[in-house]
Amino acid sequence: MISRKEIKSLINMSPKFDDMVNSLQSAPKLPKAMVKETQKVIAIARKFNREVVRPSVLGLDLKMHENPNYLPWEFVEKANEWGFYTMWIPKMFGGQGYNQPSMAYFAEEIASECLAMANLIGVHYLGMASLSATFNTRMINKIAREVAAGEKNQTPCLISLAITEPGAGTDVEEVDLLDKGNITCHAEKVPGGYKVNGTKVFISNGHLSAWHIVIAYSDLKKPSENTVTFAVKTGAQGFSFGRKENKMGQKGCPASELIFKDCFIPDENVCLTPREMENFKRGNKASAMQMIHYVVSVTRAGVGAFGAGAARGAYEKALKFASETKVNGKLLINHEWAQCMLAEMYKNIALARLSYVETNYANGIYGFYKNLQSKPAYYYNKVVPSKWFDRFSSMMDKPFMTNLFRKRQMDGQTDEEINRTSGWGSLSKFAATDMGIKNCRMALDLMGQAGLRHDRGVEKIYRDAKLLQIYEGTNQLNRLNLFNCLIAKDHPQAVVFDE
Amino acid sequence: MIAGNDKELKLLDKTSSEFAKKELAPFREENDKYPFGPFFETALKKAYEIEFFHATLPEALGGIGQGMAALSLILFNICREDASMGDAFIAFPVFNNPSEIENLAAAEKKADIYVLSGKVEYVVLSGIAAHALIPGKIAGQSGFSFFLVSLPDSGIEKSPPVLSLGLHACSAVDLKLENAKGVLVGKEGKGADYFEQMADRMHVAAGAMSAGIMKGSFSEAFEYTKGRQQGGREIINWSEVRMILADMAVAVANAEMMISRACQAVDTDEKGWQACSRAAAITIADTACQVTADGIQLLGGVGYMKDFGQEKRYRDAKHIQALLGIAPLKKIRFIESMIG
Repeated sequence: MISRKEIKSLINMSPKFDDMVNSLQSAPKLPKAMVKETQKVIAIARKFNREVVRPSVLGLDLKMHENPNYLPWEFVEKANEWGFYTMWIPKMFGGQGYNQPSMAYFAEEIASECLAMANLIGVHYLGMASLSATFNTRMINKIAREVAAGEKNQTPCLISLAITEPGAGTDVEEVDLLDKGNITCHAEKVPGGYKVNGTKVFISNGHLSAWHIVIAYSDLKKPSENTVTFAVKTGAQGFSFGRKENKMGQKGCPASELIFKDCFIPDENVCLTPREMENFKRGNKASAMQMIHYVVSVTRAGVGAFGAGAARGAYEKALKFASETKVNGKLLINHEWAQCMLAEMYKNIALARLSYVETNYANGIYGFYKNLQSKPAYYYNKVVPSKWFDRFSSMMDKPFMTNLFRKRQMDGQTDEEINRTSGWGSLSKFAATDMGIKNCRMALDLMGQAGLRHDRGVEKIYRDAKLLQIYEGTNQLNRLNLFNCLIAKDHPQAVVFDE
Repeated sequence: MIAGNDKELKLLDKTSSEFAKKELAPFREENDKYPFGPFFETALKKAYEIEFFHATLPEALGGIGQGMAALSLILFNICREDASMGDAFIAFPVFNNPSEIENLAAAEKKADIYVLSGKVEYVVLSGIAAHALIPGKIAGQSGFSFFLVSLPDSGIEKSPPVLSLGLHACSAVDLKLENAKGVLVGKEGKGADYFEQMADRMHVAAGAMSAGIMKGSFSEAFEYTKGRQQGGREIINWSEVRMILADMAVAVANAEMMISRACQAVDTDEKGWQACSRAAAITIADTACQVTADGIQLLGGVGYMKDFGQEKRYRDAKHIQALLGIAPLKKIRFIESMIG
């Protein structure tokens, strides 16, 4: 009926099978134990919600209304005590080594109760992912093991990512815009390291983090080819915290200003230099973009999980209200129009979830999760005790390990794989966060006066969820990134960011 | 909003617009801190002195005898800057239709007065007002009635201000009544009729508030996009930004037209003015939620912060959508009025 050649040709027609279906290709390759492990992660999150998040969520938000400068250390300490800051760090770097896609399910669970608290945990892994994307195994090993030590001695050691600048938000996430942007954070090469001057803003968890992964530029005239990624520790000379933003929502998670004044960063704390990037297969500029794609493919799926969580939190509050409130003498849940609204909300949650799950299937076969998700690597990481990894920890400090990872991960990733993972990351980000807002609106519509009250919780989700459409690239930027990665590639005449 | 050639409306347009810019806009962030900051008493007193409170009261009762167009114009201009003040002007800022969800005190007639007991949630302005209209149910009767209570009454216990989504400075409190004295307003059991008559008129006022918020959101976004740069040029020069601005501008223009038309219908007692008022308000309240969300989006991160007015408008717009009852039920009621 149809030849193999024809099949190959037809499934490569647009939309390409590989771009359409990640799960079908990825699922059979996954280690079976990932299912039980993911169930365990979800159960832990639900227990944490029951014991820690739910009893304190409204109290913390209220406290932040009263005093926007308050820092929620008590929550960070609890999350640290429960092991959440090492849970998804691989054992080879001193962590607990849970499968990394399970973090997205975890994020949805916590976000369904509180987006700020989900962010207090999730942003740490944004910092970790950015550090990991430099593949500087010595620095990853050093910082990750400090996080693990902080867990043991009950002193939380969080990592933040500092990239946004006062005059540049979208520009720093897209190298085609970078050189035209108002970039001011300068990392000047000096003997033995870099001297950094400039300001970073809206840095989630800034005031709470011990380490900050910072993206600066050694030449402000051509930042796209001069990206410097370094780590700076809180307390370093020349580095200080500025204002803490007074936000509409996600109040429990600080958005900080980071100020650098002649801050000296020794070479040993530099994770990736422009010179090193020249050695990558794609050269400096394209590799800088690849790094951004590599990180946001997973972190945007994470924000998608937050969006699913927000959609779910709003739905659960509306459902509870509808189940116990009489409208016109009949329980609201028994009005047909309300049933249709609740069904619509349920659908929104399911679609939001599917978007981040499907994205992570792509990351599992083409991107960030690829290595640790292969069956041999997964079971080795799972079965071998941490102590064994610890004995060989010094191996990670050897330059050849860094080179090996960079060669395999950066140079080994094809352009198609970059486009697929990043395109899906963007899809999940804007689809799921839009669903989150949609459900909040519907919940408030259903609940009327009750929904307006802080003590009912749903107005908080409405405030919190709006930020999801802004951070990790605005939803507009993400639409353009999807266009660029999944549509424009088949249309050579299409040009993005150059109208 | 369109004041047309009406001299009085033009004057009111100018006065309310200047008042909002001078007395409200500079203190918006500070006033929004309530109940964790001071109450905007000074601005409220000035609004009272300019007689905004009395705009629709008949002259015989000490008001200035204006119609719905005047009230809507005042609300529109004020809500461009701070909708909390706007809500304070509404004659009956109520977020629940007692016929839909019961939130009633129990009333009992004793001699020539009524005694009210029970909990009534979310009574707006009761933290500062001298009197409140409370819905109550007289035992053995169907329907509900309205009662005027004196708030210093020893039988009424007020909760602290209820922190809410928006309109922080125009807060509500929960009332706990125990044998509080109430004066019956109108006739027993006629509360639902009075509510609907009030709602017919006040929908358009609520719509004017939403329209004002939309206009404020658009103006701030428009100005910001002319100054903020991305990729080496002002973001207003990127076509997607223009598209979002265009959506906002079209929505604002439509809202202004709808409110003007609805006011005309109400003030001239046009046949079917009730439907005109309700349809305008339902549409504008919903549109305002999207417009104010876009208003934040165009400012990006700073739009989410308290330093700008956009985040407050986003909250206030959604809050106002709940005025006079649950949003979907307002639609159901609209079609029911046609079905008969």
